[in-house]
Amino acid sequence: MLELRHINKAYADGRQVLSDLSYTLKAGEYVAIMGDSGVGKSTLLNLIAGLDLPDSGEILIDDVAISSMDDDAATRLRREAFGFVFQAFHVLPHLTLSQNIALPLLLNGLSTERVEHMLTDVGLPGRGHHFPRQLSGGELQRVAIARALIHRPKLVLADEPTGNLDPETAHEVLMLIRTEIKANGASGIIVTHSDAAAATADRVLVLARDGLHPAVAHQSA
Amino acid sequence: MRNSPCVDKFRRFVVTRMLVLLLSLMATGSVAEAPGFPLVVPDYKLTFPHDYGAHPGFRIEWWYVTGWLETADKKPLGFQVTFFRSATGHNPDNSSQFAPKQLIIAHVALSDPAVGKLMQEEKTARAGFDLVYAKEGNTDVKLDNWRFVREADGHYRVDMQARDFGLQLALTPTQMMLLQGDQGFSRKGPKPEQASYYYSEPHLSVSGAVFHQGKPVTVNGRAWLDHEWSSEILDPEAVGWDWVGASLDDGSALTAFQIRRKDGSRLWAYAALRDASGHVTLFKPEQVEFTPVRTWRSPHTDAVYPVAMRIRTDSTEWLLTPLLDDQELDSRRSTGAVYWEGAVTLTRDGESAGQGYLELTGYVAPLDL
Amino acid sequence: MKRGLLSRWLLLGEWRAHFVQAIVVIIAIALGVALGFSIHLINTAAFNEFSAASKNLSGQSDLQVHGRQAMFDESLYPFLATYDGVELANPVLEFEVSVPGELIGRKDNKLKILATDMFRAAMISPDLLGMPAEGKPLDGLSDDAIFLSPAAMEWLQVKQGDLLPLNVGTQTMTLRVAGGLVRARAGQRIAVMDIGVAQWRFKHVGLLSRIELKLTPGIHRDTFKAALKQVLGDSYLVLEIADQEARVDHMSRAYRVNLNMLALVALFTGAFLVFSTQALSVIRRRHQFALLRVLGLTRQQLLRQILLEGATLGVVGSLLGLVSGYAIAAIALHFFGGDLGGGFFPGVKPSVYFSPLAAATFFIIGLGITLLGSAAPAWEAASARPAVALKSGSEDKALSKLSAPWPALICLSLALLFTQIPPIFELPVFGYLAIALLLIGGIALMPRFSAVVFSFLLKVMRRHITGAVSTLLLARLANAPNQASIALGGVLASFSLMVAMAIMVTSFRVSVDDWLEHVLPADLYVRAASVGDQGGFQLDEQKAMASLPGFTRVDFFRSLPFILEPTRPEITLIARPIDMTDPSNTLPMTDDMIAPVRLPKDVMPIWVSEAMVDLYGYTVGKRVTLPLGTAEQTFFVAGIWRDYGRQFGAVQMQLADYQTLSGDRSINTVAMWLQAGTTSAQAQTILRQLPFGDALEITPSGEIRALSLEIFDRSFAVTYLLEMVAVVIGLFGVAASFSAQTLARAKEFGMLRHIGMMRRQILILLAAEGGLLTALGVILGFILGWSLSLVLVFIVNPQSFHWTLQLHLPWGWLTLVAGIMLVSAALTALVAGRQAVSGHAVRAVREDW
Repeated sequence: MLELRHINKAYADGRQVLSDLSYTLKAGEYVAIMGDSGVGKSTLLNLIAGLDLPDSGEILIDDVAISSMDDDAATRLRREAFGFVFQAFHVLPHLTLSQNIALPLLLNGLSTERVEHMLTDVGLPGRGHHFPRQLSGGELQRVAIARALIHRPKLVLADEPTGNLDPETAHEVLMLIRTEIKANGASGIIVTHSDAAAATADRVLVLARDGLHPAVAHQSA
Repeated sequence: MRNSPCVDKFRRFVVTRMLVLLLSLMATGSVAEAPGFPLVVPDYKLTFPHDYGAHPGFRIEWWYVTGWLETADKKPLGFQVTFFRSATGHNPDNSSQFAPKQLIIAHVALSDPAVGKLMQEEKTARAGFDLVYAKEGNTDVKLDNWRFVREADGHYRVDMQARDFGLQLALTPTQMMLLQGDQGFSRKGPKPEQASYYYSEPHLSVSGAVFHQGKPVTVNGRAWLDHEWSSEILDPEAVGWDWVGASLDDGSALTAFQIRRKDGSRLWAYAALRDASGHVTLFKPEQVEFTPVRTWRSPHTDAVYPVAMRIRTDSTEWLLTPLLDDQELDSRRSTGAVYWEGAVTLTRDGESAGQGYLELTGYVAPLDL
Repeated sequence: MKRGLLSRWLLLGEWRAHFVQAIVVIIAIALGVALGFSIHLINTAAFNEFSAASKNLSGQSDLQVHGRQAMFDESLYPFLATYDGVELANPVLEFEVSVPGELIGRKDNKLKILATDMFRAAMISPDLLGMPAEGKPLDGLSDDAIFLSPAAMEWLQVKQGDLLPLNVGTQTMTLRVAGGLVRARAGQRIAVMDIGVAQWRFKHVGLLSRIELKLTPGIHRDTFKAALKQVLGDSYLVLEIADQEARVDHMSRAYRVNLNMLALVALFTGAFLVFSTQALSVIRRRHQFALLRVLGLTRQQLLRQILLEGATLGVVGSLLGLVSGYAIAAIALHFFGGDLGGGFFPGVKPSVYFSPLAAATFFIIGLGITLLGSAAPAWEAASARPAVALKSGSEDKALSKLSAPWPALICLSLALLFTQIPPIFELPVFGYLAIALLLIGGIALMPRFSAVVFSFLLKVMRRHITGAVSTLLLARLANAPNQASIALGGVLASFSLMVAMAIMVTSFRVSVDDWLEHVLPADLYVRAASVGDQGGFQLDEQKAMASLPGFTRVDFFRSLPFILEPTRPEITLIARPIDMTDPSNTLPMTDDMIAPVRLPKDVMPIWVSEAMVDLYGYTVGKRVTLPLGTAEQTFFVAGIWRDYGRQFGAVQMQLADYQTLSGDRSINTVAMWLQAGTTSAQAQTILRQLPFGDALEITPSGEIRALSLEIFDRSFAVTYLLEMVAVVIGLFGVAASFSAQTLARAKEFGMLRHIGMMRRQILILLAAEGGLLTALGVILGFILGWSLSLVLVFIVNPQSFHWTLQLHLPWGWLTLVAGIMLVSAALTALVAGRQAVSGHAVRAVREDW
């Protein structure tokens, strides 16, 4: 469903980050991307989300090139097809949990019926009227996950979603991400440093200077 | 005082007009501008008491008293009292009581050798409101609280209180009045119209009090009164005059004056000597001669005055010696008039003759206006 | 010191990062201080010069004797001149003449003439002597000589030797400019001439305006004054310089104080701006401060740090304000003179004088207001628990402490209370305090108010809201009211003040306009220069005018100035025919009056202006005595009328009563009603054909009205300017806080962009937020401004100027200003929002602070 073709991208200062990167993600697949700091993981996610443009190469989502769309078209595609989970949660403080979760539905002009159901799915039943400041970090990330999946996106992008969480909460959140991606029939990419987080994905890839490689399989208990 | 030098200068300027006024009134040339002032004529006969009083029709008039006083402890003092009256020629139609038709200018001065210089004060005001006047009919002049009046019995009363001194004197005639010149017609220059009506009262016996800082000191002495009025006196060439009036010990009275040109030369001169019996000797101008003996430079005005003077009247030589040198009236801060008016002692041909008053005008450098 | 270094780093870091905000705060403070300081300097300079000039006119006398009316009989002069203890009495005749020619009909075509006896005056006021031409020492006594101050020569365009025509009654007279004055103050337009000449030429024979006394050294002035008062009785006033100063002070005090207050309004607005900027900056750095606290900065150090920030801005702003205030004052005085359009200091050319005390005061006010603005946010930041503060989303909660309702309610109730308190020193001190409290209270309630309104909107619209933008918009406004509305503090302050001023000025203007219509019912008003203390028209002239063809009605007015109390400016006595069936037909009566039928028959009625009630206690029904004519006369106060022309008081009475009492048959003004079919031009031609026609000042009532309103507008020009500045400062504040908030919300916008919100939508969101907030601010500002205007109209004005106004709202103008505010706030929000949709913001989601 996602196809990267010969992507090249340099930073503004001219430093090459991605060179001739190609990869294809199948529908329903959930992969983890690991790699050293500064290797371009976040840049890659921005390119996929259409928030940044590659210097050369193409990014196709269901055979549509997002990299050649104008901002409005890319935004429209993003709001329909993508869901995001951030390391810093980015839940709006002045909106209730329900309102936060409902944002993608509203942006897509869809009915907000599913919000309560989604809240229950992420383990926060009946708390839709609460404000974010009343929540712990793990709970906030659950809200973010609900928001990422509420509109049944094709692709969920998660950037270090557990970076700010303790290991126990992190594990619960990771399992929730996986469960929800699978339950909603979406594809998913998780960018992480954590082996434990990567382990919850179907496949683990390592981003290096020379491209995206499958990680050496190593099972940890 | 908060007056800046600048203001002082302006004030001086404003009031300096008084001196200029006096001089210009005495000088010719202005009568024509404001017609209506009567001329002084030779055949006018002075009548009394009417002519004791003011003559407001004439342009200028003054009563001038000078004299020597002695305190109880025999200390000599000189005094001078002057009341000028000046008609301005102001529009006669002006019905205001403030209309400046007549001005009264008065000087009072006291020479006290103990003080070492002349004590003096001047005032100027317009006549009006019974505050300031010079009355007709008999001598009665008033400038606020300064008063000079001739009483019914013929004696004069002077009452003048200045800031630091004052005079309260009674002047009693002991002799007949003296009509100067030709029966009171006194020429002041080569032209006949340069003249005034002029009489004197020599040998006035003085009694009364002199005030020092408000405290009265009883005094006695002898004084001389001049009363003179005219519309036009001085020749345009005249810059000043030297005048002496002396009531001499032997009962005689000497009057002498000369009118000077700018270069110091004599324009006109006059002298009259009346002896105790009443016989008057009049001298022709060429018989009268003024010769400076000693000069004194005023530290106040820089003017140089011949304070000691030799006067020759025909064959007689008079030597005038001042009571003190600094008897200059420097009133530039008020009325602006600057002249020397001093008590002098006289000798006649080397012998002590008596006391008198010498007046020296026109010696100060032209004012820088 | 390591701590000093840290403090410096923090300061510099903050300002480097938020340079614009620091600059805005500095500008706001500087503008406020500059305005206040310059107005203070201008007023002080003008007042001092004015009072020095009037002192200059009275010389160095110990005492002055005046009559109740402008002039009195000169027989007092010899009495005083010979009075025991008087060293010198200086008689003075002072009057104004009108200058014919181009200047005729103008309010300021009057030349003040001081007529003295130079021989007396030289001892008491040597400055005010004429300086004749060289060689003409006695010119000062000439019957045609007049001496002019340099300003008067310049104004009249004459020089020494020129002829100067002047009006006397219905005649014109020509004098000769004989020279200048010894010394006149710059700008002082006066003429000096001989008192005897002036009495005669200007037909003031027998009259004096005052007698200045110099006492004999050693005489105790107060004892002498008291004794002399006894002797002279009630018809004369014995004044000393202090009384005169008090009178001059009274004349313009209300005006000066009110103008200073308006200037402070700008500073006040600045204070709100400082508060909002500092509050936002503290909020923005909550995490940073929490971190510092965690790292070991004590509560006090943090407090000090934030206050230091404010103080530094305050010091820089205040100093800048002092410098520019001085410059503004110097420039204004140089180019426009000391009169700021109020007409209180005519003919004065003061130069600016730097007063260290005033400078220090305004510096402290500027600094104090900045510190005050920083105090609350600083205290909040310092008292926050670091652990809580580190958590995002707590910002608005932090601010909610600042918006507890009770301080606001206390302010509002105190304000209400203060409106009931009478003036102090005849100044509406509590009125202004009430205004300040209303503002503070109103603005403090703003967040709460907006929360209520937007929550209600959110609830009501919930069913209908389907868009993300509207949800975000209303949710933010309803749930984060503090952050949102804090931006509005400055703009709310300035807008409500502007509304208040606009309502006040409109009420004033409409009232004055109505009043003018009422007091100027005739078609033409004809005046002649007054003659002494006589009006310009004598009996035969009155007869001639009454019998002219072309007029249906001719009314005669006699008005004269009158001193009731030595330390107060003169009141005006106006005698005219008053309709006894209903005085409201003649006078602009208030409701406070007694019907003519119920008036006591034994006493003459007078109708007094409102100022008479405030200043002299002339209430309706009271019997009062006025020294009129030869003796004290009792009058009955029959009613109160409105007078916008004379703030120091005026009394009206029947012309017949006045003439009976005073024997004065002359009149100053003739009101003439045209016959149908006669045009104003025809009527003027008829009047000009009178033997004295050339000397008449003929003014159609329309012209007087236009002129009056022009003067009115001119005197409020400065007020408008001050308000504009306040609004600009307010808008500055909106711009600064919007952009600060937009920056602070970068992550929010970044996330929204991620999840698919368009640039356009975000801009719309921001503009709508700004617009809605401003709309609410405008509504609240209007309510607040309206309340303030009530205080201005019904408390400040009557207490300062002793007149009441009717309330009138300038709807059109208010709508226009509201519109401008809305548009500019929305635009400001939009401009600020450009940052929000830039690429940087998108990436901001991945950054922590």
